[in-house]
Amino acid sequence: MTAAIELDRVNLALGSRRILEDVSLQIRPGELVALLGPSGSGKTSILRVVLGFLAPVTGVVRIAGEPVSADGRVLRPPEERGLSMVFQDLALWPHLTVAGNLDFGLAARGVPRSARLERIGTMLSRVGLTERARAYPGELSGGERQRVAIARALVLEPKALLLDEPLSSLDTPLKRELMLLLSELLDEHRVPGLYVTHELREAAALGDRLAVLEAGRIVQEGSLESLRSAPATPFVRVLVEDFP
Amino acid sequence: MLVVAALLPLLSLLAELPATAGTVVEVLGVRRPWELLLYSTALAAVVTIAALAVGIPLGLLIARSDLPLRRTVWALHLFPLFLPPFVLALGWFHVLGRTGLIGAESTARVLFSAAGVIWVLWLAFTPVCTSLVALSLLGVDASLEEAARLVASPWRVASRILIPSARPAIVLSAIVVFALAISELAVPMFFRVDVFPAAVFARLGGIDYAPGEAFTLALPLLPLALLLLALERRFVGPRSFAVAGLHGMTREPIALGAWRPVACAAALLLVVLDLAPLLVLGQRAARGGGLTALPRWLGQAPWNSLVSGAVAATIIAALGFVLGHAAARRIRGATSLDALSMLAFIIPAPVLGVGLIAVWNRSWSQAVYGSLAILVVGFIARYTVVALRTISSVILQSARDLEDAAATSGAGAWRRLGRIVLPLNARGVVAGWLLAFLFCVRDLETAVLFYPAGREPLTVRLFTLEANGPQAVVAGLAVAQVLLTAAVLGLGALAFSSRRILR
Repeated sequence: MTAAIELDRVNLALGSRRILEDVSLQIRPGELVALLGPSGSGKTSILRVVLGFLAPVTGVVRIAGEPVSADGRVLRPPEERGLSMVFQDLALWPHLTVAGNLDFGLAARGVPRSARLERIGTMLSRVGLTERARAYPGELSGGERQRVAIARALVLEPKALLLDEPLSSLDTPLKRELMLLLSELLDEHRVPGLYVTHELREAAALGDRLAVLEAGRIVQEGSLESLRSAPATPFVRVLVEDFP
Repeated sequence: MLVVAALLPLLSLLAELPATAGTVVEVLGVRRPWELLLYSTALAAVVTIAALAVGIPLGLLIARSDLPLRRTVWALHLFPLFLPPFVLALGWFHVLGRTGLIGAESTARVLFSAAGVIWVLWLAFTPVCTSLVALSLLGVDASLEEAARLVASPWRVASRILIPSARPAIVLSAIVVFALAISELAVPMFFRVDVFPAAVFARLGGIDYAPGEAFTLALPLLPLALLLLALERRFVGPRSFAVAGLHGMTREPIALGAWRPVACAAALLLVVLDLAPLLVLGQRAARGGGLTALPRWLGQAPWNSLVSGAVAATIIAALGFVLGHAAARRIRGATSLDALSMLAFIIPAPVLGVGLIAVWNRSWSQAVYGSLAILVVGFIARYTVVALRTISSVILQSARDLEDAAATSGAGAWRRLGRIVLPLNARGVVAGWLLAFLFCVRDLETAVLFYPAGREPLTVRLFTLEANGPQAVVAGLAVAQVLLTAAVLGLGALAFSSRRILR
């Protein structure tokens, strides 16, 4: 089966600093891989390589089997990769309303106006924000902003969804509520995804499979149980020991 | 000090109303001043629209595209902003005037018309739009742009996300360009185009001397200034939209693709238009012996410019630091003082000039009015906002926790300012000083109304000599102004590049 996203021996350097070393990772259709790692391990860099904002020095990135970056070159620009992303700081455009934020990408992809309105209405209804369609991001609560960011990513029906620690700044009750919503939405849309986090609880709750990144290398991949039974590094051991 | 320098002149202008009541009907009851005001407003509006039309795309190219040598293009394009527009007008006279480098009767006719005024002011003030837009775009959160680039073409990202994000900067640049253009006196007078500020100026000196009429004529400009201030408060306010450094330029730029050669050619053409008149001025001055004759003609003028500019810039930087910090931290009263400083900057220069004359031209204040001190007061009134906004932008981007930590350690407000805020934001304060100094040294439109006899700054010396001085010497004086500005900018650049001086 062709992988939705594939990184094949990807190396990345910024100046003289090596960021990623021989990273290989596959995300299969319908699968959500949770990428764990300490701060500075290169998690966000992997997302930026997949998105096309950074070109790997060597190695290949494929989306649905098609090479999109290879050996220092971006073969397909970000806007042509069909991916969506929920950013860590959400990146909601402050001058556009909630509906405007959802509409931007649909309009850019040439979706007819009537279809756009229908898709935006359905998505806002699904995340419980129908009443807030005309509000601006600055007028929303923290939880509402998170839901807009998720809705904006999914309304595009992307080939894959990337999430960069989207829940890291939330309190526990709100985080639980949004994890549940996210889990339901990912199931409904059956969209493959890469979920970057440094919290094993989130990774275990949402991810079908876990991958651990340390100092730019994938040091272990597998289920929570496999990580527990044979932690590959001291960091992985500490990670699983702290998790009940 | 800001209140004394900026608010008193405006209040005194209003206080003069009863005394000038008799002249109101006589001066404003005829068509001519209103025609001039309308004409000046239209000229300023055209300059503003033209500056926006070029400044917005160029700011975008400089901040976010892969245009080659972006920083160099920006620096060269920016340079004329720090010169009095009159110097550019002189330069273009030597290019397109009847005896100019490529001049003829027809080019001279176009130059000595409203078109010439618009052309020179457009070149002089477009860098305001370019720079404010570029700084604003460099401050846009990278993830906002990346979120858009995931789904849209670069052109769509630029037009729908980046440029709307820069809206406050665009509005501010439009207000500043309009205010500078409607205040401009020397360029229209040089090109023999009648404008409103010239009518006020004429009544403050020469054969039309009638200060009462000047007060009256300045009055219609007050509502215009208040309208500009209302727009500024509505769309910009004291918020920061710019960045303290140029780190944003290291982000992955948007590729221009096939448009890159076109963008390069357009940027190059603009830089040539910016610098060509200055080079021709140098050539004219050197060929006609203007440079060798300079020492005899310069007198004390450069010294007057440097001393008044340095003293004013130092006071402005100190004021800007205290007020900029207060504005950034939303301390009570700061918004009003920020608005006052903005009003004094955007108010047409004749209004401020006439107000300063009304306050300081009194028997008890001749020590101020008859010395360089009046220039310092005028500069403080007009240019405090330049340092205030610069420093406030920088302070806004520094962590408030650092000040709070000092407060919890027992440091009072002044100790926190001196020991924590100032060292952390020293670059911003120096940048504020430098910008204020450059604006003071380039000032002509305010200083020409009240400079002390025999103590004129270089800009005024140049302007007054133009009418009857030898052309080569006038060109030489203009070159001196250019070199003075370049030297100040060069020293500023050195200070900023030296990590030991400014960490």
